[in-house]
Amino acid sequence: MADPTSPIPDPVAAWRSWISQSEQQWNALLNQAMGSDQYSQWMGRMMESYVTMQKNMAESMSRYLGALSMPTRTDILTLGDRLAMIEDRLAGIERILTAAGTSAAPIDGSTVAMRPPRTKQPPTETTPGGESRGT
Amino acid sequence: MTAPGAAPAEIGIETRVREEVERALLRNVKGLEYLSAGAPEMGLTPKDVVYARGTLRLYHYRPLAPEVYRVPVLLVMSLVSKAYILDLTPGQSFIEFLLRQGYDVYMIDWVPRPADKRLRLEDYVLDFIPDCLERIRRDSGEPDVSMIGYCMGGLLAVLYEALHPEGPVKNLACFTTPVNFEGMTLFSQWTDKRYFDVDRIVDSLGNVPPELMYASFEMLKPAARLAGQVRLWDNMWNDDFVKGYRMFDRWAADQIPFPGECFRQTVKELMWENRLYKNELVLGGRPVVLERITVPFLHVMAEHDHIVPYASAKDLVAMIGSADKKELLLKGGHVSLVAGPNASRRLWPQLDIWLSGRSV
Repeated sequence: MADPTSPIPDPVAAWRSWISQSEQQWNALLNQAMGSDQYSQWMGRMMESYVTMQKNMAESMSRYLGALSMPTRTDILTLGDRLAMIEDRLAGIERILTAAGTSAAPIDGSTVAMRPPRTKQPPTETTPGGESRGT
Repeated sequence: MTAPGAAPAEIGIETRVREEVERALLRNVKGLEYLSAGAPEMGLTPKDVVYARGTLRLYHYRPLAPEVYRVPVLLVMSLVSKAYILDLTPGQSFIEFLLRQGYDVYMIDWVPRPADKRLRLEDYVLDFIPDCLERIRRDSGEPDVSMIGYCMGGLLAVLYEALHPEGPVKNLACFTTPVNFEGMTLFSQWTDKRYFDVDRIVDSLGNVPPELMYASFEMLKPAARLAGQVRLWDNMWNDDFVKGYRMFDRWAADQIPFPGECFRQTVKELMWENRLYKNELVLGGRPVVLERITVPFLHVMAEHDHIVPYASAKDLVAMIGSADKKELLLKGGHVSLVAGPNASRRLWPQLDIWLSGRSV
């Protein structure tokens, strides 16, 4: 850390300060460029290329895996979808049972009785700094 | 050693040169340690999974205080980042702080799977969050819950509360929550409907891949990575700095996929049409009017937030209908507002002061 009262300039502190200033300047400059219509257009084209590439890769991989008699990503996702549907249905049944009052026990073995009492009171108020507005 | 009687300027130079030489040596030693070290462990505060369904995980953190406030707290995590940012490491964990202050803490975390590409905002606001609140009520035995949302988690929390003003939420706190999406200038520009084909992306990819999310956040501060690495080298002698850098760097790179339909809806209805801000957003056939929120409300924003700029977040409190509402603008950025040493000095105590009196 530079000593502001020292008559000798601290080159290391000056270098650190330059890094921070450069970072801010480059960020501002690049953000300005990235906020242009041309950049958005370029990004749109890049996204299009990325999506096309991903799609082609997925299709090629699917063909290779099919040729090797191995399940493809789509097959696994279909299974995942079915599992998700089963999970949703189980949750629905659980909700119905809870509403009917037949299953009110907490899940995962946790019990309210083992927990600390809910008796804590707030300490006397203090106000740390910060810009605040409120009603 | 400095010779007795040396001039103050000479002492300064000598001390500084010695310090820099020592640091240079330490950089070499610790640089090797850095390269060979494994990923830092985070999210270690003991917890139980109370409920899991699809993308949803509801955790309950084990209390660390002998007595707790009556009203439990539910943290709602963002859809675009992992929850351990709120539980970095002992001593720097927001969750640990809440537990030690005597709160009973639950958290909703999202673990998106490919099948979750069909999830829309309605699924989160009208299904997952009400389901979790009901389970917390059963699990805790308390009728009231305080809800805290970070970033897009805050958005989900206000959407929920606007549609369930008679629900169990007693207090609502949001951190860096956008409401006016025109204020997110760069994101708005990049998703310009003339060039950004959101339908093609979602229809082709399903969920938006994490690498795309990461790249978009990196582009907001394009010089930050290089400058960060220079600072890391400069501070390689400083164990605390290196530890902090590694934790934040790992979290920033550890993005999660954004559920496809929700992304489409966010881009079209929030970014393009700005419907929430215009009170035109409809979820599940019900209009979302933020004025219907009447519970005590706190919104905390960061002065240097590059992801949710002040312009996009500043109108939230004005749109809320609560009589008891407050906003805070604290020093820091989007992440340093909630995590790390600065957060422990700024946001956490402020939240505790606001929430403690409202948690009995």
